[in-house]
Amino acid sequence: MALKTPEQYEESLRKLDLNVWLMGERVKNVVDHPIIRPSMNSVKMTYALAQEPEHEDLMTATSHLTGQKINRFCHLHRNTDDLVKKVKMQRLMGQKTAACFQRCVGMDAINAVDSVTFEMDRKLGTQYHERFLRFLKRMQEEDWTVDGAMTDPKGDRNLPPGKQADPDLYTRVVKKTAEGIVVRGAKAHQTGAVNSHWILVMPTITMTEEDSDYALSFVAPADEKGILYIYGRQSCDTRKLEGGEIDVGNRQFGGHEALMVFDDVFVPWENVFMCGEHEFSGALVERFAGYHRQSYGGCKVGVGDVLIGAAALAADYNGANKASHIKDKLIEMMHLNETLYACGIACSAEGRPTASGNYLIDLLLANVCKQNVTRLPYEIARLAEDIAGGLMVTMASERDLRHPEIGKIVEKYFRGIPSVPTEHRCRVLRLIENITLGTAAVGYRTESMHGAGSPQAQRIMISRQGNLDHKKKLAKNIAGIRD
Amino acid sequence: MGGTGVKYCGGCNPRIDRSGLVREIGKLLPPESRLSTERTAEPWETGILVCGCPVACADRPEVRRMAGQWIRVGGAAVDLESVPEDRMAHVIAEKIKALK
Repeated sequence: MALKTPEQYEESLRKLDLNVWLMGERVKNVVDHPIIRPSMNSVKMTYALAQEPEHEDLMTATSHLTGQKINRFCHLHRNTDDLVKKVKMQRLMGQKTAACFQRCVGMDAINAVDSVTFEMDRKLGTQYHERFLRFLKRMQEEDWTVDGAMTDPKGDRNLPPGKQADPDLYTRVVKKTAEGIVVRGAKAHQTGAVNSHWILVMPTITMTEEDSDYALSFVAPADEKGILYIYGRQSCDTRKLEGGEIDVGNRQFGGHEALMVFDDVFVPWENVFMCGEHEFSGALVERFAGYHRQSYGGCKVGVGDVLIGAAALAADYNGANKASHIKDKLIEMMHLNETLYACGIACSAEGRPTASGNYLIDLLLANVCKQNVTRLPYEIARLAEDIAGGLMVTMASERDLRHPEIGKIVEKYFRGIPSVPTEHRCRVLRLIENITLGTAAVGYRTESMHGAGSPQAQRIMISRQGNLDHKKKLAKNIAGIRD
Repeated sequence: MGGTGVKYCGGCNPRIDRSGLVREIGKLLPPESRLSTERTAEPWETGILVCGCPVACADRPEVRRMAGQWIRVGGAAVDLESVPEDRMAHVIAEKIKALK
């Protein structure tokens, strides 16, 4: 079964025994919980589109391990065409869900772990790469969703892992035996964690020798004994408990993050891909971050496509679509959105092979891509709010609209142009609200800022990769400066 | 070799209604000329490459090997000639008939 159907994916999640907590209660049925369900639908869409002839060219790939048709989210990039297709697939997924579809982190993690374990084995004589490939083969055959888990809670940012008041603030090995290792700690902001079959853990920063216990990479089943999830709140999340379909803005899809806690979790050696090799921790962090910064040049663009469309519809429904400044704002939104896409495509087209055979994006351009993502979606959101008008945050509720007594008042006074039902106007304004300051704003705004690394992390990489000395030489040559 | 096959691009930013176009082409062909996306051991006699934009990223050598001859759609263009979207199905159906 190299490709699961969406129904098989959902059923496979039902078989997991996840320890998930949400608002102070243990969640008994994760798949059907009304706050969680929309995020599961987003991941499910990655399975659904892979089945459709209209989308399989992007959503599927051929495994270099088995020759089988697999979901692209389980694929190692074999050339720059694969890297470009990844970005296009993410744009498509963003368009179809208008939310974070969560499966990218696992794809980015396997691609980073592949090349780093290969290079580690070559230098140190370890056997991580073969282990990793055995896991990858199973992941591809079972079409697993894997959560790539990097970000530790980090406590006092002034202190390295081993000097923290609480040593568990970075995920670490607490015991090694002949059979495996015991892991303690946590991963924060874990996108799609409770919709995943497996967790792929990576170190969160470059580790030094004294922090070797924190130089750790492994996989574990998502429902392994000792793993606990505390589900993250999102703005307006309890609207999903109201049972309506307008006020939530996006009834069907969403994203999620969770705090993932490892309470002395046993991991057999077969599932360990780094344990103490601190000198390779930096490469793993840098490559995962690079791939994930590329990802944002696709997924945010797809969500942006929906937001721009919604803003244009709002202008139509408001009767403002012929105003020149509205047209210009829509043009600006498209310009900004395509700028992000151009960066995603550029860092992919300029990709290069690694020693293991998989392809890595151009790290400078990927960081430029993500740096733009920390800014441009905010401007796109601002313009969408400008076009939508204040009603997107002052509008009456769906219950008022449907009320037998006051519904007709809402219908009368919230109508825009006469040819469009008031409900349509409410729906599109709620969608804009959802993306710009509701549940999906987690993904479209703050995740754009901090996901895959906060802005300063990209600036450090741009500084390292920017080739400034070459630019100085160019200037000297043109200026006639002879040293 | 047999039949007329359809190969879509992935559809990340289509400028035409790709599946709608294929439905319209199907209506214009005789009943025995069913369009299919199913891959067979034998290449299709004719393939329609339906790409949503002029980039036509699915136009690759390995895709070309899936059929003996191709009609290439890249956005509102058929075989690199611009065609109004409401005329595309007709133009493509005529090309299929001419290639038989």
